[in-house]
This record gives sequence, structure tokens and C-alpha cells, in this order.
Amino acid sequence: VSELPYLLAVWIFVVGLYGIVSSKNLIHITVCVSVCQSATYVLLLAIGYRNQGTAPVYADIPTNRKVVDPVVQSLTLTDIVVAVAISALLLALALRAFGHKGSLDPNELAEMQG
Amino acid sequence: MSSLIPLAVVVPLLTATLIALAGKWMPDLLADLGGVAVAVVAAVLAAIVLYRVGNGISTYWFGGWKVPPGSFPIGIGWAVDRMGAAFALLVLVLLAAALLYSWRYMQEERYLYVVLMLAFGAAMAAFAMSGDIFNMFVFFELMSVAAFALTAYKVEEAGPLQGSFNFAVVNTIGAFLVVFGIALLYGRTGALNLAAIGERLTNDGRHDGLVVAAFALITCGFLVKAAMVPFHFWLADAHATAPAPACVLFSGVMVEVGIFAVARIYWTVFAGVLGEFQGPTRGVLLGVGAVAAILGAVMCGMQRHLKRLLAYSTIAHAGCFLIGVALLTPDGLAGTAMYVLSHGLAKGALFLVAGVLLVTRGSVDELLLFGAGRRLRVAAVAWFVSALALASPPFLGTFTGHALIEDAASVQGYWWVPVVLAVATIGSTAAIIRAGLRVFLGFGDRDDPLLSEQPGESPPPQERPRVGLMVGITLALAVCGLATGALTGLAAKAMEAAHVFTDHTSYEHVVLDQRGAAPPPPGEWVTTTESVVWAIVTLLGSIALGFASTIRDRLPESVTGGIGRALAPLRAAHSGHVGDYVAWLTLGTAVIGGLFAVTIR
Repeated sequence: VSELPYLLAVWIFVVGLYGIVSSKNLIHITVCVSVCQSATYVLLLAIGYRNQGTAPVYADIPTNRKVVDPVVQSLTLTDIVVAVAISALLLALALRAFGHKGSLDPNELAEMQG
Repeated sequence: MSSLIPLAVVVPLLTATLIALAGKWMPDLLADLGGVAVAVVAAVLAAIVLYRVGNGISTYWFGGWKVPPGSFPIGIGWAVDRMGAAFALLVLVLLAAALLYSWRYMQEERYLYVVLMLAFGAAMAAFAMSGDIFNMFVFFELMSVAAFALTAYKVEEAGPLQGSFNFAVVNTIGAFLVVFGIALLYGRTGALNLAAIGERLTNDGRHDGLVVAAFALITCGFLVKAAMVPFHFWLADAHATAPAPACVLFSGVMVEVGIFAVARIYWTVFAGVLGEFQGPTRGVLLGVGAVAAILGAVMCGMQRHLKRLLAYSTIAHAGCFLIGVALLTPDGLAGTAMYVLSHGLAKGALFLVAGVLLVTRGSVDELLLFGAGRRLRVAAVAWFVSALALASPPFLGTFTGHALIEDAASVQGYWWVPVVLAVATIGSTAAIIRAGLRVFLGFGDRDDPLLSEQPGESPPPQERPRVGLMVGITLALAVCGLATGALTGLAAKAMEAAHVFTDHTSYEHVVLDQRGAAPPPPGEWVTTTESVVWAIVTLLGSIALGFASTIRDRLPESVTGGIGRALAPLRAAHSGHVGDYVAWLTLGTAVIGGLFAVTIR
């Protein structure tokens, strides 16, 4: 397996972080959090990849066939479930914030300081 | 016995699901009653597990995927030692107290509040007992999402939205760091069971970039939850805006989950392969803890919003907790355990007093409440008893924890550790005493040039608040917090538990080979003169500084202005802007990870 997927995972994570740090919009931040999370999917899947491996479903392939690691795939799935919950919550909060302030700017929301 | 282990988690989780499904048609009273009853039942179950575990480690394999000795663990297993079971018990006891307190505290959609609290508590208890790194992550996320939702419970106000949004984004990024670390460990070892990862890393023996990166990522990820500087910004926003009974769990156990996780992962996974690098690991973690301890104490002195003040006090104490763990000795860990116990009870009581003030006086602002608490005598007693417990007076409250950490530090030659503990304790407790003097006794000046103004919080709409019940629970928690320091037998037990917790090979043998754990040496706690002297220093220092801070308005303007200007950059850093917080998080991870990378090679 080449190193490209690992570098890609780091790249996606950093892009997501940059998005959050520079963002002026709560919904944009929510999407950027999802981008960061995508980096973890890429990393997990890259770790489980085997050259010439196929999907680990033995229903229609011979049992001696080389497959990719199913454990990381289930970890990724769990990770996605977590991501859905968090995105839903953040979007609900953004909606409420818009109702209060009429704006999605995180600066407007930052009342409590110091 | 072992089939009993998951029940303490399953019972509250199942009840939470049932209440969530049927809550709409359920009278609020039933949801309240069910919540409290289930929390008490779960606490009793955890107590039974704690009692039965004794000095060993009990394992439980889900779905019966028990492994034959020596083979690879495929299933998901829990491994419960005394430390984990005791932590779960503390979580569930605080959960029961918080639910009882909130009997009529919440008005809207009350059953959902009970559901969130039960899921939150159960997830933390599960986290403490799990022996599988991905299972830990899942419960970590369950507890996090429940906590985000609890923070935003009062969506009618803008404050909770800010608190919850910042909390959610920062902690989620922290959790991603943990996932990165887990993925790297899985890539190297092919295992998710803590004992199996530890065994394979030790046998492999390589401490290359991958292992150090995994260690740094997992540690930093969990330190976000533990609110270490510079990952701590979310905590003040979240604690200031969450409902007071939820704050009991936030401050008392949730932040400590982060510390617990760092300790658990270090000793089960990395203690073998990074065993020869104890020096640098200790140095970095001690430094991180010391910075948090001092920064929390300084910020405490500038808050007039009572819950935000208590939040910064939690950061100061959390720094001390990490110092105890960072010494990497059983005695230091035992000190942190005793400290967490007293602090959790006392800090819980303080948040509950803030809740009483909000319900009966309509504010949590120190200056607005000046003298307003004169007639709340029992609440005042609870406030000052808790403050006393946190001041580490000789043989009471957090004293045992302090003494154990200080002794462990002096054995290692860290003379400055007692000084940092004293500064953190004096700074944070003085602020609590100052606020108490103003609110409950009307003592001191009505104005304070150093306190920062915060937006107010509206009281929860109450039909007939049960102030008597609320104050009673508060006082009970405060007195328990003070009394835990006097139980020297408990300290000895904590030392034994810490020996089991820190025994890397024994844990491996129990989980993978089903051999019995090596019995720990009998714990014996001896008070040293130094620790009593330090305790007197922190007690008198807290009281003196507390009284002095109430009359800061009388200082010449040049002095207060100078202090204000000196602290302005620190205030500005706590900007309430989530982008800034994530930038700090990135910087902190880079610095801590970089230090590990440079020193461990």
C-alpha cells in the first residue's frame, strides 16, 4: 500500500481544521467538522486495505480469496453513526442561533468572554 | 459475578430508551421517579461490583466471546478493577444526587432531560469499566453527545447555544485525534483490546514514530476532555451555560474521564513499549498539568458569574489531577483518585448552590447577588463547607489527595509540585470564598474592578420549587466531600487499587491468559509533617486571599488598572469564538506532540 492515502488523510484533516478556524458561518463550521471526520474514514480504510483485496463478503466469493480487513470497515461505520449525531446536533444549534440573532456568524454568538 | 458487571450500565441505558419512547405519554412525575430510582439501582449494582472485584480484575466478554488462554481476543471485553469500579460508582452516585435535585428544576420536556442524564451517566460508567479501546471511544462519544445536548437544554437563551456549540466542536475534534491514534495502533498491532495492543507493542519493542504519534494523539485527544491548557476554552463556556445539576456531572466526573482515560491507556497500552521513556513522558505531562492548574486559578479570580468561576476552579483542580497521574507512580495515581472523590462531591455541591441561587434569587452573578443570600442559611453553610473541603485543610476534604501527590512528587524530586498545588488551591478557593462572603454575608465591597461582566442567565420557570429538597442534597454532598478526607482507610485502599491499575503485566495476564492478578502490596498511608504544613498554608492562604479579594475596590486605581492590563491578553484569549478555540487546540497538539517526538526516541 502506498503512502498516499495516509498523506491524504492528514491533508483532509488539516483542510477541515483550517475551515473551522477561518469560518464566519455556523453551518460552514458544521460541514468542516464533517470534513475533519472524513479524514478518519480515509485513514481507517487505508489501514485495512490489502493489495488486490476484495470486499469481505464471502457469500459469493471463494473463502480463500484475499479480502480487505472488515474490522476497520465496521469501525468506519460506527464512526459515521457518531458523525451523523454530531452533525444533526450542530445544525440544530445553528438553527436556534439563527432564530436568536438573525445571523449565523459565530462572532455574534460569542457573548460570554474572558 | 461477571454477568453482573454490565448491568450497572445496561439498566440505566435501557430505562433511558424506554423513557425516550414512552415519555410523551408519561406523567413527568413517573419520569422523575424512574430516573432517580434507576440511578440508585445502578449505583447499588456498581457498589456490588466494586465490593466483589476486591483487589483483582474481573473480565466480562460480550456475547460470550471469551478467549482460550493465550489466544487472540476477538470479542469485546470489559476488564474491571477497583479503580474503574470506584469511578463508575462515583459517577452513578452523583447522577442520582443530580436527578433527585432536579425533581422540579426542569420544566419543559422534562422526560428528555432524564433520558439525557441517564445516558450520560451510564456512558461514563461504561467507559471506566471497558477494556477495549474502540468500545471506550464509542462510550466516550455517547457521553459527549449527551453532554452537548444537556448544555443546550435551555435553547430559549443564546448563552447555552454558544456553550454547547463550542463544547461540541472542540470535543469532537479531540475525539478525532483519539480515532487517529486508535487507527495507528490497530494498523501496527491488529488489535483493539487494550491488553492485546499492549502485549503486541511490548513484544514488537519498536518505539518509532508511529507509536509516539499514536501516544501523542490519544493523549491530546483525551486531554481535550480533561480541559488542559490550551484545550480548556470550551469548559468555561459549557459549564457557565449548562443547567446546574448537569454541571455536577460535568465538573465532578466528565472532566475526570479525560484524566482517567490518559491513565488507563498509558498503563495498559504504552507502559511496556515506552517504559524506558518515563522521564520525558512525566516531564511533558507534569508541565501541561501545572500550566492548567495555575491558569485556572488566575482566571478564577476574575469571574463574577458563579458557574463560570466554578468552571475555572475545575480547570485548576484538573491540572492538579493530571500532575498526580503524570508522576507515573501508584502513589501519585492514588492521590489523584482520592482528590477526584473529594473534589467531585464538593464541587457538585457548589454548583447545586448556584442552582439554588438561580431558582430563589434569579441570578448567578456575584455582584448582583450582593447580600441577597443572607436568608439562605443552609445553602450558605453548604457553600462554605465545600469551599473548606477544596481548601485542603489538614485531614479533611482534598487533603489526602494532596498529601499523596506531594509525597509521590517529593520521592521523584519534584520540589515544585506542592507549590503548584498550593497556588492552584489558594487561587481557586479564595475566589469561591470571596463570592460566598459577598453573596451570603454581604461582606466587602459592592463593586470589584477586576471582575469581568457576563450576560445573565434567566431562572428556570418554576411552579413550586422544592428548595428544601435541593438544599438538603447540596448540604449532604458538601459534608460527604469534606468527610472523605478523614477516611484514612480509604486512602490505603486507593493505594492498593492504584497498584493494580498501574500493573501493566498483571493486567495483560488477567485479560489474555485468565491468570489471577498479582496481589498489590498492602497500602499504608502515613501523614508526613510536610503535607500537614502545606495543608495549613493552603487553608490559611485561601481564607486570607478570599477576604482580601472582597475589598479589591479599595486598592488604588493604578494597582487594579495595572493588574487589569496585565491580565487583558489572557482575557482576550478566552474569546468565546469556536474558531479561536480550534486554533489553540491545533497549536497545543502540535506542541505536546512535538515535545513527545523530540524527547521519546
